[in-house]
Amino acid sequence: MTFDWSVIWSNYGLLLQGAGMTIVLAALTMLIAIPGGLLLAALRISRVAALRTVATGFVESFRATPLILQIYWAFYVLPATFGIGLSPFATALLALSMNVSSFNSETFRAGILSIRKGQTNAGLALGMSRLQTMRYIILPQATMRVLPALASTWVSLFKDTSLVSTIAVAELSFVSLKLRAETYRILEVLTAMAVLYWAMGYPQAKLVEWLHRRFRVVE
Amino acid sequence: MKQPREGTNVDGAPARVGDAQEPILVFERVRKNYGDLLALDNVTFKLNRGEVACLIGPSGSGKSTLLRCANALETIDGGRIIFEGIDVASSSTNVRKLRQRMGMVFQNFELFPHLTVLHNITIGSTVVLGMSMRDATIRAVELLRKVGLPEKASEHPAALSGGQQQRVAIARALAMEPDVMLFDEPTSALDPETIGEVLSVMKRLADEGMTMLVVTHEMDFAKRVADWVVVFDKGALIEEGPPSQIFDNPLVPRTRSFLSHLGWHGESIVEGDGR
Amino acid sequence: MSPDFSPVLEYWPFLLKALGVTLQLSGASVLCGMVIGLVVGIWRAYGGRVARWLIALYVDSVRAIPILVIIIWTYFALPLVIGVSIQPIGAGILALSFHLGAYAVEVVRAGLLSVRPGQLRAALALGMSRRQAIRVIVLPQALIRMLPPIGSLIVIAVKDSAIASVVAVPELMRQSQLLAGITYRPFEIFTTTMLLYFLILYPIARGTDRIYRKLAHLGAS
Repeated sequence: MTFDWSVIWSNYGLLLQGAGMTIVLAALTMLIAIPGGLLLAALRISRVAALRTVATGFVESFRATPLILQIYWAFYVLPATFGIGLSPFATALLALSMNVSSFNSETFRAGILSIRKGQTNAGLALGMSRLQTMRYIILPQATMRVLPALASTWVSLFKDTSLVSTIAVAELSFVSLKLRAETYRILEVLTAMAVLYWAMGYPQAKLVEWLHRRFRVVE
Repeated sequence: MKQPREGTNVDGAPARVGDAQEPILVFERVRKNYGDLLALDNVTFKLNRGEVACLIGPSGSGKSTLLRCANALETIDGGRIIFEGIDVASSSTNVRKLRQRMGMVFQNFELFPHLTVLHNITIGSTVVLGMSMRDATIRAVELLRKVGLPEKASEHPAALSGGQQQRVAIARALAMEPDVMLFDEPTSALDPETIGEVLSVMKRLADEGMTMLVVTHEMDFAKRVADWVVVFDKGALIEEGPPSQIFDNPLVPRTRSFLSHLGWHGESIVEGDGR
Repeated sequence: MSPDFSPVLEYWPFLLKALGVTLQLSGASVLCGMVIGLVVGIWRAYGGRVARWLIALYVDSVRAIPILVIIIWTYFALPLVIGVSIQPIGAGILALSFHLGAYAVEVVRAGLLSVRPGQLRAALALGMSRRQAIRVIVLPQALIRMLPPIGSLIVIAVKDSAIASVVAVPELMRQSQLLAGITYRPFEIFTTTMLLYFLILYPIARGTDRIYRKLAHLGAS
């Protein structure tokens, strides 16, 4: 069995395009999912019970079902049952954003709740309003705590973009699999795909590890 | 300059510092429940201007709760708390304005870990009082000097020892130029070596005439620095009076037994150095 | 088009069988993953520098590559390397275990390190060998502390099992796709499938919390 690795070099432009799409998809999703997560977190700690219930139901549904199923659901059900016709890219973005927003909301909620009540009291004792206490004392500290978790979520998101290849979005996996189908160089193309993901993912994972060490919370 | 610590009134009752003026803080039959538990049971006493009062008593007797009700961090279920003539618990009261005139020092220091020491002190002035950063910094530097930590301005709280953090916390409260300082067991979380440095800052404050309400287990401090001592047990005030009464001749048996459990046998201690 | 769940009822046995495959797939990968995690994790916590470096490479690399890529590579490319063809479900278990193992290593390592070093010293002071001490004193405490993260591992395993659908493993995701194609009722089928996954995963996520709280005192030192 001979292996022809030149296939990779002659198509590297295509593969890089796919990688670029992966990055774009992940970045856009996170751009939506950070405010989305904040919104959901706020709803989940709201004093209005109805809002709390709806938000919690939303978040738990997205966290307790596979992402690939959520993608398929969006792709097949939205047009067939609700008459909403979105491009594969838009569908992918929708499913990914809602999924990551749900995970982010948990991160934000935990971050806010983890600050000791004494900190709020200390701010109030100085005469600050609840809003000022939130803004100057609680949120800055919560942000430092959620940064490592958000970074981990980003790395997961980056990998999860591969799932939208199943609905023909031209990110790295889709592009690689198409190349494999066209050239029949299975081992070469699939290995190149794995290596490209590794090359992008490994440094990011190391960065996240560093973030976890740097922002470790010492009580 | 403060008035002399002890003397008597015409009717023989012990005179208190600041009796000539309106009291700064009055607790009137204050009641508070935590579910079934009666945390505060009809507590009535007053704090005069310029007076240093220490609240002592067993753990869980309600002293800290009372303090937190004074600046409305906790609510009361009955009675009144009057601060400078204003009802603290009334719904029409602007509590934030009141808190600006009261300084609070917490058992766990509660410095803001994400801010430098200097910032911890200036944040009240800038955010709440609207001072300019420049003026706030001038005041903060002066206060840091006063509590003995001028070189720590750009450090973060985590780099300081417990005693140093608590002194910064005192400076943070003083930056608001309060009329009264509330201390909630300020030395309970400190190593024995660092308790002294915090107590001497507090004594300096007292000597300068600051009105102070201190919840503490440091009987030595109470006897030497307090003008008035209030004894609590199970949410109720069981005795109050000058230190000479409470520590040498308590009128109430429970006070005596509480103090003896702490190793205090009613003798005046020799004025030593150290603490 | 009004919802019509009758195809769901009609093909219910089909879905249940697929659910069974999902559970088999997840269960097998959790088991194998934990074995990998325990062996490699203990080795990493107590092994030498070279071992630690190699294992770090394994863990960080696997966690940098999407599970989809690992599954596809295992099914399509691995046979070309070793010269033996692999069944879809075999490839699924292999890939999932390999992937989960990397996470399990971290869980085991964290669990072992969270037991106070004094415990090991106390055991050694009693005259136990290092191996005995680890087995009898450290490991049991560590295992209790590992319960909540293992719960998350199970959740990951079940979710990732759905990705095995891309190599035609007849688990729940794949079979619902087929069913949706046959019945032209994607809403009913996929919603039912979502419900099934939710009913499995939600209790696991909550349940491990509860079990941990009951047992936590046994692992506290």
